[in-house]
Amino acid sequence: MSSVNGVVPTTIIVAGLALAGYALLMTALNRRVGLVLLAALGVLEILLLVLVGIIVARLVGGGRPASVATLIGYLIAMPFVPVIAGFWGAMERSRWGSAVFAVAGLVAAVLMVRLHEIWPAIHV
Amino acid sequence: MSEPAASPEPTASPEPTASPEPTASPEPVASPEPAAPRPESTRTGPGRLLVAVYGLFALSASARAVVQIATKFSHAPVAYLLSAFAGAVYILATVTLTNGSPTARRIAVLSCSVEFAGVLAVGTWSLLDRATFPDATVWSGYGSGYGFVPLVLPVFGLLWLRYWARRAGTRRTVVPAPGDAGEAAEAADAGADVKSV
Repeated sequence: MSSVNGVVPTTIIVAGLALAGYALLMTALNRRVGLVLLAALGVLEILLLVLVGIIVARLVGGGRPASVATLIGYLIAMPFVPVIAGFWGAMERSRWGSAVFAVAGLVAAVLMVRLHEIWPAIHV
Repeated sequence: MSEPAASPEPTASPEPTASPEPTASPEPVASPEPAAPRPESTRTGPGRLLVAVYGLFALSASARAVVQIATKFSHAPVAYLLSAFAGAVYILATVTLTNGSPTARRIAVLSCSVEFAGVLAVGTWSLLDRATFPDATVWSGYGSGYGFVPLVLPVFGLLWLRYWARRAGTRRTVVPAPGDAGEAAEAADAGADVKSV
């Protein structure tokens, strides 16, 4: 009870890595961003927003990490990753748009692990 | 003898309605691209990925520096100032690579070079003098905390800029038909360099 449920963070890592793998495959196959990639990025965005909600609820409940400023920075930056990568990658009419989506998936997974390091109460 | 009768080809038949299928149906074949389109600027094609990664590092390095300098500057002033410097270099590279004009490309070459020198210098310094770096910067240990991306990023940036410098150079000097072949070959060559990893 004293920790953030690990389901959402774990799902974010799995979803981010799956998105990255699929996007890299699309890059290798010389495909530009398609509906599947856009949908996957949308799912990742929703998961990140849920995560932010969970963590904010915990902050409101009185929990504090060692560095609140860093945590707040992450909470603000993380939901923007899929949004910006989505626009930037979908604008591209070559395989490199898919590569941008791969970066977004990887970054989401890495940020999730860093978030756990910042505040171990967020279980992965 | 009986070829015209047996042939299903519509080529000879005067009425187009007779053959619905072989009329060169250009099925929209999913999304595979018909040969990679030539990038129109430094921010398209491979540059799309390059700008994305530069933007990511511009944000993370400078945000990290701001938090560190604001909350605990005296803890490791050298490391935090270097973080801030790295963030500024990444911002400059991101902006100039996105812009892509000849002047911007020249500034981008400079910032990528400074970045590469910075990774090598700070990486070595951080290994030799650990006391100065109680906290890591982006460039500590040659960027080991960031999957060594800071080490390879400027190399790809400079390769990409070289491709553009050559492309611009051939366009300016060489005139009509023979130039096209030479330019295309050179472009393909430089493109292969960029894509080879």
